Amino acid sequence: MERMNPASKLPVLEYEGLTPEENAELRQAGVLLQSLETLKGWARSNSLWPLTFGLACCAIEMMGAGAAHYDLDRFGVIFRASPRQADVMIVAGTVTKKMAPLLRRLYDQMAEPKWVIAMGVCATAGGPYVNSYSVLKGVDQVVPVDVYIPGCPPSPPALIYGINLLQDKIRREARGKRVSEA
Amino acid sequence: MIGFLKGMRVTLRQLPKKKVTLQYPDVKPEWPERFRGVHRFIPELCIACNQCARICPTSCISLAGERDENKKMKITTFDINFDICILCDLCTEVCPTEAILMSDTFEMARYSRDDLYLDMHWLYENEQRYEEAHPERVAEKAGRAE
Repeated sequence: MERMNPASKLPVLEYEGLTPEENAELRQAGVLLQSLETLKGWARSNSLWPLTFGLACCAIEMMGAGAAHYDLDRFGVIFRASPRQADVMIVAGTVTKKMAPLLRRLYDQMAEPKWVIAMGVCATAGGPYVNSYSVLKGVDQVVPVDVYIPGCPPSPPALIYGINLLQDKIRREARGKRVSEA
Repeated sequence: MIGFLKGMRVTLRQLPKKKVTLQYPDVKPEWPERFRGVHRFIPELCIACNQCARICPTSCISLAGERDENKKMKITTFDINFDICILCDLCTEVCPTEAILMSDTFEMARYSRDDLYLDMHWLYENEQRYEEAHPERVAEKAGRAE
């Protein structure tokens, strides 16, 4: 009987931070918390605190974007030195195979919800080191990446464009829309 | 107290100065003419000589051509894997017909790596975009060629 019902195959709403029982109760009562989710998305997208993860020359452009000329503080982006306080990781630079486990550990230490920006072609796909023996061919092999910013290195406006894309993604996902995945 | 006043003097002197912050998402930056953004490509000029693919340090260009009825080489596929392109400008320098050039498009961040595989149509659209944005540069180039 359960298998015959097409409604049982439909995706059900699951709000984060609530237990499965509470979610079931909310569904039964027909309560939707959409505006709360939208509010959370708005708050999260406007206070992205990135983990400073400079590995190569892209880090210089990232610092340049954070300085007075491009001023990332305008978007609520404030660099943090600890993964516990950060919610987005900007991987700026070449990730070697020796660095990859550490990158994964720092990602695991970040508190949920968390996002990853791959900045530069090295972090995206290996870039000029694509034939190297020691360089990871893209950080998406170790962590899930939300936004890829190509360039060698990308200029500060390109980085700001990527951060704005991530903000847009957070807001859209909070409204229940699916943004394409890699 | 003297030190505090000295410090405040520096702060107060900054106040009437012009703001240095560029309002990027609202005001687009003005790039110089030799800025190296994403490539633009003019298929009519390309003779499929394969030099750009050979000089590319990351071998991110792949192309194929065929001979048309006048025995002239014509381009059929031209793809740039922008995942690994390092925008070194070598393909532009080596191109004998100036079919591949750099544009000032820099907003290339994407949600997926698949969108970074640029084909001939994308690159030609980028060329049209560039011509629309900088008609004086393109006109100057055409005048020099004649």
